[in-house]
Amino acid sequence: MEYIIQTKNLSKKFGKELAVNGVDIRIAKGEIYGFLGPNGAGKSTTIRMLLGLMKPTSGKVAIFGKDLKSERINILKKVGSLVENPSYYPHLTAKENLEAIRKIVGVPKTRIDEVLKTVRLQDAANKKVKGFSLGMKQRLGIATALLNKPELLILDEPTNGLDPSGIIEIRELIKSLPEKYGMTILISSHLLSEIDQIATTVGIITKGKMIFQDSIEEMRMFARQYIKLKVSQHEHAWRTLLASGMKAELEDGHILLSDQTDQHVAEAVQLLVQQGISIYRVEEDKKSLEDIFLQMTKEELAG
Amino acid sequence: MLAILQSEWFKLRKSKIILILFVGPLIGLFIGLTGNLIDVGEQMNQWYSPLFMMNFTYATLFLPLISGVLASVICRYEHQEGGWKQLLALPVTRGKVFLTKYLLLVLLVLFIQILYLGAIYAVGVIKGFTDPFPLTIVWKSIIGGWVATMPLVALQLWLSILFKSFAAPFAVNVIFTLPTILAVNSERFGPYYPWAQPFSMMYVGGSTDDVFFIPWDQLLTVVGGSFLIFFLCGYIYFQRKPI
Ligand SMILES: Nc1ncnc2c1ncn2[C@@H]1O[C@H](COP(=O)(O)OP(=O)(O)OP(=O)(O)O)[C@@H](O)[C@H]1O
Ligand SMILES: [Mg+2]
Repeated sequence: MEYIIQTKNLSKKFGKELAVNGVDIRIAKGEIYGFLGPNGAGKSTTIRMLLGLMKPTSGKVAIFGKDLKSERINILKKVGSLVENPSYYPHLTAKENLEAIRKIVGVPKTRIDEVLKTVRLQDAANKKVKGFSLGMKQRLGIATALLNKPELLILDEPTNGLDPSGIIEIRELIKSLPEKYGMTILISSHLLSEIDQIATTVGIITKGKMIFQDSIEEMRMFARQYIKLKVSQHEHAWRTLLASGMKAELEDGHILLSDQTDQHVAEAVQLLVQQGISIYRVEEDKKSLEDIFLQMTKEELAG
Repeated sequence: MLAILQSEWFKLRKSKIILILFVGPLIGLFIGLTGNLIDVGEQMNQWYSPLFMMNFTYATLFLPLISGVLASVICRYEHQEGGWKQLLALPVTRGKVFLTKYLLLVLLVLFIQILYLGAIYAVGVIKGFTDPFPLTIVWKSIIGGWVATMPLVALQLWLSILFKSFAAPFAVNVIFTLPTILAVNSERFGPYYPWAQPFSMMYVGGSTDDVFFIPWDQLLTVVGGSFLIFFLCGYIYFQRKPI
């Protein structure tokens, strides 16, 4: 399979701290890849390395199937990016900011009005960016990233600072890009709900390590329902279930049954009653994606 | 590289600080017009009198200071709001960005020098000099001053990339520039002090046997040597700077 971005064992050390630890990213063409992780997980550091802003301590980056180290310029011609908080020249207007970049990427001048319109910033085009709100700066950053009609768009927390309607607007915009222009998109966020609404593939990073990377559907599979039992002697109860070959998990003093057919639940309850275990509650428990995410990152911490 | 240069010039042009280009020549003009002309005697060209006066303040103080400030200016807006990371994520190499910024600075210094040449000429015209304009000598001085500023610009560019603050490179610049006034009067120290070279190379009373007003070996070792050190340090530092 041909990947637009592929990293191998990508790592970055700051002093003794491993900020990125053996990350293997694989992003296929046309995907919207949601790069998810809590604060300080190493998302921005990874993105910096993808753009050649920072040298990896070890590991490799290939973009469009080319080695980043040897073909950085050719690669970056087809990449648009927004890293961390939006970058801009405060003494210039929005239009002038885009013009300064346009001179380097060499697209026609008409492109400036196009991207300003795309992010709905045309009314503020001739205002100094110094006086922009965070959301407006963010829009300008996205406009700048789109300026060269990139094949790969890398956006680091692009909806940071946007109001709810702005978030929806930008989300719809980003969603439309792969279809309209055949773009591949990497978008980072620390909010799962955000990624859930936009991504086709998800990579979850925490403490520098990639702990999950698969399609969004696969991710949602984790959100299947459970039957939750509240019982006396939960340790003993759990072992009893396992000993008789039932699938059960122990979590926070509760027993979770993943097989939730009526028959299975009945069997489990019967078994526990026979063992003299009191059953206080039997209830359905749906895990939100947020819970899964927390659980995954917690497991990683414990392990 | 031309594209980067155009972009750099665009960014600088839009900042009002560009007016600083006119400070040096205007001060020269002011000194030339208000100062009491030194009597250079009958046998010397009239033009030498304002030249001596104007050159001293201009070459020992304003030329090094202003070129340093310019270096800070063209790095300031990159430091302010993530300009570096935006610029370097474009299809450009760091080497070219550094070279372009340096080239722009050197061109601006040349522009200042040409304005200064205009200031000299204006003083003469206003004062009604009748002697012929000593064109070759003045050109030697203008181009010499420009060449001598090149290493100082390289150092200031390096420091301006290194320090986010505007004040730090300026402080270093002042610390090295002020002793120039003493250095130019010292036969032993003057020839080796890089900050004294703009004055020495603009000093129209200097030896005229060589192309410039300082001997070739001094030009190559002191000016050339300090240029090489400052430029390479800045270049290598910028290559490695984590953004
Ligand atoms: N230049 C640097 N020098 C030293 N440590 C750094 C540097 N940049 C990042 N780090 C460290 O690397 C880790 C990862 O940081 P990074 O900015 O990549 O996280 P992130 O996932 O982008 O977080 P956020 O969601 O807050 O943006 C953090 O612990 C941070 O302190
Ligand atoms: Mg970040």
